[in-house]
Amino acid sequence: MPVNHLSYREKGLFLQSLHPAASFTLVAVLLVLVLIFSHPLYLAGIFAVTFFTIWAADGLKILKGYLKFALWVVLMVLVINPLVNQSGNTVLWLSPHLPLAGRLVVTLEAVSYGAAMGLRLLNVVGVFCLYGLIVHPDRLLNLISRFAHKPALVISLATRLLPAMAASLNKIREVQQLRGVDFSTGSLKKRVGRYTTIFNILLVSSLEDSLQVAEAMQARAFGSGRRSSYRRDLFRPRDGLCLAGGIFSLGAAVYSVIHALGSYTFFPELGSLLSGRATLSALAAVLGGLALPALLSWRWNHCRYLRSKI
Amino acid sequence: MPLFKVENLTYYYPDAQQPALHNVNMSIEEGEFLLVVGGSGSGKSSLARALAGLIPDFYGGRIGGRVFYKRQDIRQINKRTLAGEIGIVFQDPEKQLVMTGVEGEVAFGLENLGLPQAEMFRRVAEVLGFFGLTQLKTEFTASLSGGQKQKLALASVLAMQPHLLILDEPTSQLDPAASEELFNLVRQLNEEMNLTIVLVEQRLERCFHLADRVVVMEGGQIVQESPPGESAVWQVKNRLPYIPPVAGFFACTGLSGVPLTVKEGRKLLSKYVLSRDQSAGQNLVLPQPVRAASKERDTPIVEVKGLWFTYPDGREALRGIDLHIGAGEFVALMGENASGKTTLLKQLAGLLKPWRGRVLVAGLDTRKVAPCQLARVVGYLSQNPNDYLFRDTVEEELGFTLSNLGLPGDGRIDEMLERMKLKRCREFNPRDLSSGERQRVALASVMAAGPQLLLLDEPTRGIDYGLKAGLGSLLQEVAAEGTAVFLVTHDVEFAAEYAGRVVMLFDGKVACDGPKHEVLSSSIFYSPQMSRLFRGVNSGVLSLREALEFTGLRTEHPAGCEGHHGSDGKGRGRTCC
Repeated sequence: MPVNHLSYREKGLFLQSLHPAASFTLVAVLLVLVLIFSHPLYLAGIFAVTFFTIWAADGLKILKGYLKFALWVVLMVLVINPLVNQSGNTVLWLSPHLPLAGRLVVTLEAVSYGAAMGLRLLNVVGVFCLYGLIVHPDRLLNLISRFAHKPALVISLATRLLPAMAASLNKIREVQQLRGVDFSTGSLKKRVGRYTTIFNILLVSSLEDSLQVAEAMQARAFGSGRRSSYRRDLFRPRDGLCLAGGIFSLGAAVYSVIHALGSYTFFPELGSLLSGRATLSALAAVLGGLALPALLSWRWNHCRYLRSKI
Repeated sequence: MPLFKVENLTYYYPDAQQPALHNVNMSIEEGEFLLVVGGSGSGKSSLARALAGLIPDFYGGRIGGRVFYKRQDIRQINKRTLAGEIGIVFQDPEKQLVMTGVEGEVAFGLENLGLPQAEMFRRVAEVLGFFGLTQLKTEFTASLSGGQKQKLALASVLAMQPHLLILDEPTSQLDPAASEELFNLVRQLNEEMNLTIVLVEQRLERCFHLADRVVVMEGGQIVQESPPGESAVWQVKNRLPYIPPVAGFFACTGLSGVPLTVKEGRKLLSKYVLSRDQSAGQNLVLPQPVRAASKERDTPIVEVKGLWFTYPDGREALRGIDLHIGAGEFVALMGENASGKTTLLKQLAGLLKPWRGRVLVAGLDTRKVAPCQLARVVGYLSQNPNDYLFRDTVEEELGFTLSNLGLPGDGRIDEMLERMKLKRCREFNPRDLSSGERQRVALASVMAAGPQLLLLDEPTRGIDYGLKAGLGSLLQEVAAEGTAVFLVTHDVEFAAEYAGRVVMLFDGKVACDGPKHEVLSSSIFYSPQMSRLFRGVNSGVLSLREALEFTGLRTEHPAGCEGHHGSDGKGRGRTCC
């Protein structure tokens, strides 16, 4: 996967103009919330906010690409979970006697749990899609390098070299094909052997190449002493607002977890979706903070005054 | 006081028996433009690395003698100071870019120097502006073209504000237009900013005249150093080929003063040659390309009809290509980077399938056969010979192709080793050979199957004049035996010297297709130097031989001129196994 095939494309959008600390915080908070909440309303709300933000980042087409694969996995979760999870009191269907497995019980609770897990999976996919759309990897690495220079450099080199290695692998494969190697026929052992050859060539060539990269780095004073860090991103009012939105949302989420407002009981029987006004208030607070960047983006496109101020 | 002084420098790479540099003595003045030429393995790159302080610091090995920079022994200079004072740009931009983004790449060296934020910001802004890269500052380095990448590599080094800039074959991966642009920048840096330049280069047409002094290296030693004009005369006398065609032509004729540019050459030409005998070349019979007998020639090997191809990302790479190549034809495919050359080559190899239209190779429809089935009739040499080499010996490498294709050995390997002058390397590990030898092993492994169509992708990249000459002669021989040769190249001089026909591709379409004299003599950037020299005088002149024939001038140094550009195919400077 070449770097230019990553979903990030500079389009001059509001969300892309955010300081990496603000855009990364938004994505990180979304991911944390998706993982800590199991309440279907929270999961649905977070998905709606993610979808709205992806729309604001002009990424619906890219999301479609992600969902093509993810929806199949969600479908599998929806089908398989009720068949293997026999818990729950509300029986929807009882299968005939099956050899070895006996009678399978499909319960409403297991189906609901599968649906919630499917929704969580969609959320995770959406968050990664959003990350690709609004977080410039190089700017993020630049931010990280201030605290952890070496890991950031390793990530940067890997991001540069892995696509190059993938391209080399493809070239070597093509060369082998035109020397008569057929990768589509033969026993598994033979095919593995053919691919091993390709990886051998790649490994030897990559080792030779890595020496040249190291030489170029040394020629540019790498390893010559303490480095400084180049900061190229401005921190503007918009970044403060979005960062505050993310932190507020995280705080509201912590409050929800402490007061058990974001948890939901699936087994043995489904709990009530709305346990009181507090659940709705906490949900509104969580989603409001998360939706702030997308709302600002929407207004930024239409309001000249706001544009001049943030 | 010289900026650099090298005294009795001798250097052995680790485990090497022969020195890469042997008793080198030289000095470089501040603001000088030094061009270092020589064959593969002559020590050019090693000298560049020694000047940059990378030898022996990075490579290890044994070293004797000393290198002084501003009167100080280079090995005593702090690494950071040295990297800030001496910048080096390498051959392959892919292997010197570190960061994923353009702006971060320029800042990388500055961060390593530990500069404060304000200083870094100023330098990054200035350098991006000077190189016209400001619009690309948020781009990923991977999405840049080859020319942009090399320009970025140069910008990243210059941001460190070195006093000396070393360039090690910086244009070997670039098309003619991008090379021209890069050299213009280098000239500007030298002339307007007094930056000292050391340029190691194989393609000399665009840079020979820029140099104040040319250093010729052979076998790790400096064999001659002088201003370009004198160097051209000396090289012709001594049968060395490291001269651009215009300088070579006048050096061969022995006229007083060797012009270095086409402009100077035109003046001299009109003064001495054309006025003397306007009709000299009227009877010039243009040389016909060496080709197979006519019966074979008429047999179509490649038939491309209405070929369209679009990559999955939506990029339309080929648009309505029609192409016919007969047996024994030697065709060069040229065009700017990303014009679709490699895509067309892969279509002919069956590695890519047409979206629309048809590609027939030796009567086989590429849509209906797998590449491994086409391998019996198509030989493919990619840009990087290392992609081929994985067996323990050269012999096994050749045998690998034959066994895959179910072909009997029956002396083919011996014949091929003999032909490629690899007989003595039979038992060597291919990875232990020199770059030129590796390329010959890769070519031999492709040729062993006796293909009807030979495809080559940039085969002259990074190889010296001697090796080029050897390769060109070999390909002409192969074509004369009936194999169709189709090569992608940016090397105008090579195409002009050896190909019979040239196809120019622009934005996925064939811009022109015809005999090389017709196509190259009318092109602006894709014309060889001799053609530019004789533009408007005789469109049939592309090479030195043709120029001498046309002008009727006798050569002062016939042997040297014969050897120039290696038309004897002996490949001087080649490392033998």
